Amino acid sequence: MDFMKKMTKRREFSSIIFLFALYAIVGIVNPAFLKLDNIMLCLNGATVYTICAIGMALVIFTGEIDASIGATLGLSAAVAASMIRDGSSSILALLIAICIGLVIGSINGFGVAVLKIPSIIMTIGVNGIVRGISYVYTGGAWVENVPRHFKEVSQMGMFGLSWFYIGTIVIMILIHFYVTKKRHGRYFQAVGDNEDGAIHIGIPVTATKMISFILCAVCASVASVIFVSRIGFVTPTSGNGYEMKAIAACVIGGISLSGGIGNMIGATFGALIMASISRILVFLGLSSNYDNTITGILLITIVVIDAVIQKCNIEKARRERLAAKTAAVVECELEGGNKTCNRN
Amino acid sequence: MQQKLKKNYKKLKFRWEYFLVLLLIVEVVIFGTLNPRFLKPQVLFGSVNDFISICIIATFMCFVFITGGIDLQAGSIVGLTSIIIGVMWKYVGVNIYLACLIAIIIGCLCGALSGFFIGFTGVQPMVVTLGGSFLYSGLAIAVSNISKTAAYLGISGFPEHFTAFTKKRFFGVVPAQFLIFLALVVIAYIILHRTKYGRKVFLCGINQNAAGFTGINTKLIIMSTYIFSGMAASITGIIMTSYLGSSKSDFGGDLTMPIITAVVLGGTSTLGGKGGVVGSALAAIVIGIMRFGLSMNGMPNQYLDIPVGIMLVIVVAGSCISKNQKISALLHHYINIKN
Amino acid sequence: MLPNLIVEARVMEENISKNSINNPNNTILSVRNIYKSFAKNQVLKGINLDVSSGEVLAVIGGNGAGKSTLMKIIMCIYQQDIGDIYVEGKKVLNSKPSDAMDLGMYLVPQEPMLFPNMSVEENILIGFNENPKELDKRLMDLLKQIGWKLDLNRKAMSLSIAEQQLVELLRGLLRNAKLLILDEPTSALTFDEVESLFKIISNLKKKNIGIIYITHRLAEVFTIATNVAIMRDGIITLNGQIKDFTREMLVQGLLPTDTGKKEQRFNSKVPDYKNLKPIFSLKNFSGYGFKDVSFDVYPGEILGLAGVVGAGRTELAITIFGKDVVLRGKVYLEEEDITGMSTAQVMEKGISYIPEDRRQDGIFKIGDITMNITCGCLDHLSKFFINSKAEKQITDKSISDLRIKVTGQDQLIGSLSGGNQQKVVIARTLLTHPKLIILDEPTRGIDASARGDVYAIMNKLKEQGFSFLLISSDMEEIIKLSDRAVTMFQGRINHIFNKVDINQNNLMSAAFGAYEGEKEGV
Repeated sequence: MDFMKKMTKRREFSSIIFLFALYAIVGIVNPAFLKLDNIMLCLNGATVYTICAIGMALVIFTGEIDASIGATLGLSAAVAASMIRDGSSSILALLIAICIGLVIGSINGFGVAVLKIPSIIMTIGVNGIVRGISYVYTGGAWVENVPRHFKEVSQMGMFGLSWFYIGTIVIMILIHFYVTKKRHGRYFQAVGDNEDGAIHIGIPVTATKMISFILCAVCASVASVIFVSRIGFVTPTSGNGYEMKAIAACVIGGISLSGGIGNMIGATFGALIMASISRILVFLGLSSNYDNTITGILLITIVVIDAVIQKCNIEKARRERLAAKTAAVVECELEGGNKTCNRN
Repeated sequence: MQQKLKKNYKKLKFRWEYFLVLLLIVEVVIFGTLNPRFLKPQVLFGSVNDFISICIIATFMCFVFITGGIDLQAGSIVGLTSIIIGVMWKYVGVNIYLACLIAIIIGCLCGALSGFFIGFTGVQPMVVTLGGSFLYSGLAIAVSNISKTAAYLGISGFPEHFTAFTKKRFFGVVPAQFLIFLALVVIAYIILHRTKYGRKVFLCGINQNAAGFTGINTKLIIMSTYIFSGMAASITGIIMTSYLGSSKSDFGGDLTMPIITAVVLGGTSTLGGKGGVVGSALAAIVIGIMRFGLSMNGMPNQYLDIPVGIMLVIVVAGSCISKNQKISALLHHYINIKN
Repeated sequence: MLPNLIVEARVMEENISKNSINNPNNTILSVRNIYKSFAKNQVLKGINLDVSSGEVLAVIGGNGAGKSTLMKIIMCIYQQDIGDIYVEGKKVLNSKPSDAMDLGMYLVPQEPMLFPNMSVEENILIGFNENPKELDKRLMDLLKQIGWKLDLNRKAMSLSIAEQQLVELLRGLLRNAKLLILDEPTSALTFDEVESLFKIISNLKKKNIGIIYITHRLAEVFTIATNVAIMRDGIITLNGQIKDFTREMLVQGLLPTDTGKKEQRFNSKVPDYKNLKPIFSLKNFSGYGFKDVSFDVYPGEILGLAGVVGAGRTELAITIFGKDVVLRGKVYLEEEDITGMSTAQVMEKGISYIPEDRRQDGIFKIGDITMNITCGCLDHLSKFFINSKAEKQITDKSISDLRIKVTGQDQLIGSLSGGNQQKVVIARTLLTHPKLIILDEPTRGIDASARGDVYAIMNKLKEQGFSFLLISSDMEEIIKLSDRAVTMFQGRINHIFNKVDINQNNLMSAAFGAYEGEKEGV
């Protein structure tokens, strides 16, 4: 029972409940939704969002934001796709994509952690630059004719669940474990929770932030390769807006933009919710055009409710603290120069 | 001695805007040299038509930034405004100018919704306006579906008098849009820098707590800045619809980043408390001219984000470096060693 | 409420003796010739200090004296421009904060810097590089020995300030610190908690840990310190063993050399209580943090509101000012019921409040003087537009009336000294034509000469008919300025004193809830 109580208090719990409730409701309206192969499709469809959300979560934990992963994903996807199309091995393409992520992440990290440029500005600028570079690389053309064998990898899996998604979950659990239990992993949330406190206690803040940006960009790169495998082609605007989706996924999953609060599991569920919305709309007989509307309403509702609850809690705690000071009647006695006070 | 200090200080105060003007002049000179056609008044002023949307919204969005907030939904409101005008005029049969008025009111309401949450419940501006951007672009699509035209076609066929006024040129040179922009800049300047309200906006941004203790209704002030932002987005939507003669739900979709770039480049700090209308307007023009000049000289449209992005990063990096004592001390040290 | 900590001398020994230095009078820390500037501001101008094991060195100094900067340099958070630091004889070079901690130094900050969303245990253990299992065991042993029961799984944000401070102390002890720097440790503690802290400090003293104890409070220095150093304007003016000094000598060391003048005795007009009606009344006023408060303020009087930190005075003030909910009772200004009105309305009616925390709630740091002075009266100056001319005029008048030291109206307030900043806030208050001014710790963090100026201003205004409610933890201030004094203890008013009864003894005992004399005055 205690365990249940502890569980319900956790922020990501609400997103998990929401997901199940959502699926249940849709299942009632249209039972076909709850068929196994459909659920699997939902999960597989969330792969790219989930990886992006995991990377973004690391950056948000430190109290920063990365608005450039959409462009990173676009560039890496274009490069990887063209390499595979032209005959390179998939592994090599993946490695090159990761290198691209490393470079972009390092640039972001340098600007934010070393030069102290506000992260929103730095990453917006880098986003524009990288997007432009990917246009230069592709010449504005689509990258198509990706070999069939590569596209088929995304279909391979177990019980309909693609290896990509399984792998993503495994990695997510490992990263979650590292960030919540391991000494150095705790640094990420420590920096976001209280940056001055982190400096005071000797945590390497600059390095931590740097690493978070690098990992975020690398996640986007890895996601881009999966993207190529699933979608099969890359356009000049591929990846546009993915950073916003990743941020939304994290927020829906209980991660706070101020840093230090939330965890990966929430982000995963958040990504799943975001990815499922289009499918849900179809199954409910509504046009999938309402995808954005629903996402927007969801995001606003969750964030506002969360802020209101937090505000109420802080206010309640403050009032309790103050009331306690005035509540008890106190008798104080002077005994030989020593004051002793008793409470009733 | 005091006089001298005063003068130097005054010079510093305006340095950023002067820098932007200088940048603008440099751009004009460079592009003019590369392609003399650039310097023809018709062409130079006409370029405004391309980037007027960034200019108008940036001019008012700096209000939001000064209070320490951010607005990611302005782009979506542009599209929503446009499609509402189209649908109202074509399918509901409302007079086109009335439709514009309704659209502005709706734009203000959109801003008010987010502004209300930000001001009164303490949510983070980025997330709420992010949600707003999804919501309003989604609503735009929904409205577009009512019209039963394919989204990519848009609604057109607007009356001549509506589409003409944005294409007009005064003295054969100055586009009407430029004059509209100038008028809005003047209005925004007066509101922000010359009224009590504007002063209160600054005070809320510098120190919200202290502003509360001086009797300022900080919640209302913060909410109002988002209303201005929404209003600016609506006005842009009207102008775009008129100029392009078509009403589409996806107008403004790619404006968010350039607008934020313009506001920040204009000297407004993301932390709040600093900034101004003139800076934002100038920066928006600088960015617009750069894009226009580059594209005139053959750079394909899609590459244009690179130089803008580079410029943003360099300028902000430079400003952060000069404020960061550690690094400037290092630089001084290095320079001293060299000598 | 934190229980009294009972620290066994015997058990502390077991933990600390592991790293105790054999020679009890070993010099742990030597600071030589430290200079430090920030941009053009010279903060430290040649500091020399020594701390030995078993010593408690009290470092006293006003705001801006450079204490925090010096401590941060010792802890390698900042780098000094010139000068050296030696720990146990060895020079410290080019180091990071983690190195300073490895060398055995730990700074317990004035505001505890914990991670609010992490558990207590994580807060204590973070930043170590040891084997986690061994670390855990050491922590358990330490806690057992101190005898402190604390739920290690609580989130740090749920702890009281005193509890948070103890977590910081634990961090230092777990690192086997040889030198602990305590930065104003008692500023947010209740009386019981201060006693507990002093017990811990004496035990640490006995176990040869060196302590630097930064404080404003002279009384504490004589209780707990073995040595004392006074900092003023970046230099050390006095240094030595506490037994060689008296209070007066310490106070002398704190005053800048140009204030040779004696303390002013104000020949202030005592209000004619018999023939005047109160201008401000509270009747059974209850809110969060205070209960059943009733007192009056008369025109032309300064009513001192004394009490210890946490007695509820600030809460009372901000509730009057419309910033918190009223639970019960009434507030009257000039016989008009203003209970529960909003801040703007209360200001309109004629009450002004100068906040306790100047930096956080009082000034607009990156704004200029004009903006800071006129922000309260904007609505009075004009309808819509800003009247620049009027603004300049009243700013000029305020600057000259209050003798605020500025280089110009457009100077940023952040570059003014604390005293001048406070004068700006006072100027702003005056422009709203208040009938009652509530001052909350008006001279906190201000140097002595500015303080004198503020007192003179208050006196002059009093003669002009303004009324003041002076909230202060500085008993001397209350004694010097008040016509009558009220003391608050644990949210309730317990005594009202007439001028003749206002003295250190009465106020202190009433503030601690132990006054035995007559109850009411007037």
